[in-house]
Amino acid sequence: MIDFSAYGEQTPHIHGFRCQKCGTIYYPAPMVCGKCDATRDPVTGRGWEEFDLEGRCTLLTWTRVWNLPEGFNKKFLMFGMVSFPNGLKASGRIEMEGDPKIGMALVARTIEADERPGKPVKVFVFELA
Amino acid sequence: MAPRIGIVGAGHCRFGNSSDYDLVDVIAYAANEAFVDAGGLALRKEVDQVLVANMAGGLFNRETAVASALVSRMDMEPCPAELVENGPASGASAVKLGYMAIASGMADVVLVAAGEVMRSVTGWEATDIVATMAHKEAEYNMGLTLPGFAGMFTRLYMQKYGLTERDLALVAVKDHDNAAKNIYAHVQIPVTIEAIADGPEASVVNNYVAEPLRMYSTCPITDGSAAVILVNMDSPKARLFKKKPIRIAGIASATDTHCVHNRKDPLVLDAVRLSAEKAYKMAGIGPKDISFAELHDAFVIFELLISEEVGFFERGTSFLAVRNHETDLRGRLPINTSGGLKAKGHPVGATGVSQIFELVRQLRGEAEEGRQVKDPKYGMAVNFGGFGNNVVTTILAKD
Amino acid sequence: MAIDELEKKLRPPEVALAPYPAKVITLASGETMVVRECTRADVPALLATVYPLIEVAKDYYDVVATRMYNEILSWYRYRIANEFVIVGAIEGVIAGIVTSRHVDPKLGMSLHTMTIKRGLRVGAQLFAAKMEHHLEYLKEEEVWIVAESPIGFKRWMIEYELEDRSALYPGVRHELGGVPTFALTRKLWDAVKAVKCTGTRPVPPAALKTAEKLIPPEEYIQLPGWKRNG
Repeated sequence: MIDFSAYGEQTPHIHGFRCQKCGTIYYPAPMVCGKCDATRDPVTGRGWEEFDLEGRCTLLTWTRVWNLPEGFNKKFLMFGMVSFPNGLKASGRIEMEGDPKIGMALVARTIEADERPGKPVKVFVFELA
Repeated sequence: MAPRIGIVGAGHCRFGNSSDYDLVDVIAYAANEAFVDAGGLALRKEVDQVLVANMAGGLFNRETAVASALVSRMDMEPCPAELVENGPASGASAVKLGYMAIASGMADVVLVAAGEVMRSVTGWEATDIVATMAHKEAEYNMGLTLPGFAGMFTRLYMQKYGLTERDLALVAVKDHDNAAKNIYAHVQIPVTIEAIADGPEASVVNNYVAEPLRMYSTCPITDGSAAVILVNMDSPKARLFKKKPIRIAGIASATDTHCVHNRKDPLVLDAVRLSAEKAYKMAGIGPKDISFAELHDAFVIFELLISEEVGFFERGTSFLAVRNHETDLRGRLPINTSGGLKAKGHPVGATGVSQIFELVRQLRGEAEEGRQVKDPKYGMAVNFGGFGNNVVTTILAKD
Repeated sequence: MAIDELEKKLRPPEVALAPYPAKVITLASGETMVVRECTRADVPALLATVYPLIEVAKDYYDVVATRMYNEILSWYRYRIANEFVIVGAIEGVIAGIVTSRHVDPKLGMSLHTMTIKRGLRVGAQLFAAKMEHHLEYLKEEEVWIVAESPIGFKRWMIEYELEDRSALYPGVRHELGGVPTFALTRKLWDAVKAVKCTGTRPVPPAALKTAEKLIPPEEYIQLPGWKRNG
């Protein structure tokens, strides 16, 4: 039976990974669980569970970059590193007015970005809570 | 017992813009200079192994398999040759593998030649290519680049230890001063603290690149090459070379997490500390024995952080040593006497060998007038791959 | 000097432009660069500076030098209307030149920017000085900009967030030919001038004196081996 919902409009999500053998969580996905040595099959995903990594997070550090790489025709972009309540950390873009502050509460969501040639890629955006 | 291994020849080109020239020619230039330094081009036939360091010739120049190309360009067939790629630590990694080739008994003489021609593409493209060393999904795709990581890193250090933008500018002034006397440096223009930090125009003249890092806290995009010839000092072949070898006393490497956000403590460079500890142990010395050092300052913050991590200063205090001029050429512990990556330049694949070239010159007493460290005994080089996730430390000794 | 009737017919109508007040900038090397408007008395030094670069194909120096030579000479010979030339000089030696034109009270036409002394962002400083003159002293509302070098232009386009008017061609068409025209409006200028435009006024008399008589450079990094008197 075909899952026709797969053809609907998709909201992008970035995933965290949980080792089903020992419960340790990771982002991004490893090939071996550092705690119990379980391996991950990237084709079947067997033994690992994916979950959406999004929502409330805390800003660890940030920067405003003025010299962006090829394809990014903007004056600047802000980037930050955040930590989630589950202990996972991530890097992504910050979208807000003014200067962020280390320790501030933000909300993470995922967008698709296409500055570079090829298929669009998933990008974290951190915004004010 | 492992043989003693030393450097008997060293070559370097003027760093800058070599985009009119072929990558392999640029690398061969430094290799030729190394042979001339060692006693002559006839010594090519004594080489048992060629290792070429280059990070991204396929992307910058559409040239791959560069080691094979170099051997032919230098008329050195059928000498074995391999390319070594470890991001910006390709150079020191190639020296380490050359060391291992001799230590294993598979070679007595190794040519390590390194080069990068980055200015064949635009600055935006070069920034993008260098960023490919980051984690593809979790970092590169976000638009993050090395300056972006360095900016975030610097902000954390400033918040924790009280480092100021002026402190970063002081390091740049020192580096530019040193590079102004280095005939191989890319940027041979001294800069003043007034112009880049204290003066009314400083914020425009020294504009932000990745806040709080400014232009004079980041290295330029540079082309260039460097080469060294390693020899088994205990083999008869060692007698063929005209200069006394500068011994590799210690060489080691270590890795850390690929994703910068997954480091245990974002301000702790485990790979630097571990590689330095191993190198010190191999050399039988400690941080206090180091006379001078070349530390990977693609961003000035790294000079400070690495100097703490290798044990020169307590954590969070290195910038105080800079304020006290301890790391100046005439200071207690000169750092980046060549001008560092900041002013000498950073052709990524070549940098590790260029750092070792500087160590050799200083230990031989061959540095330019006004740039020679007094009576050096041990020199250290720390070469960063990635954003500190693959680091090689080398210690050379003047016996 | 009396201008004969035919010459009068050939000269474009000129308006009296507000002068550009000189300023001094401390470059990263610690050297001071005096930025001042040129007079026709400076033309020999300006032409002598630009001329050798006509031979340099790299980075579009040949096109820019040829066109700038024409602009300076035409201005000297009163064959181009309301042009101004601003120079950056270090100890009197020309480090960079910019040319531009006041079209009408609302519009400026940026012509060219040439960096002679490289490595100290002289070009960026002089481009900003040119925009400063258009928008702060000549009080125009916007400046039209094009460029020959794709890399140089992309930098301005991104850093100043210039408005793309290329879709309005040929209604909006820069004087330099059929290239896409971009505009720096007053609003865009106000957003960036604090980080782009700098300098101290008035220029100390001793510094100003050094820039009184402009000196063409002896050597050019763009022309390895070339010497002016060699």
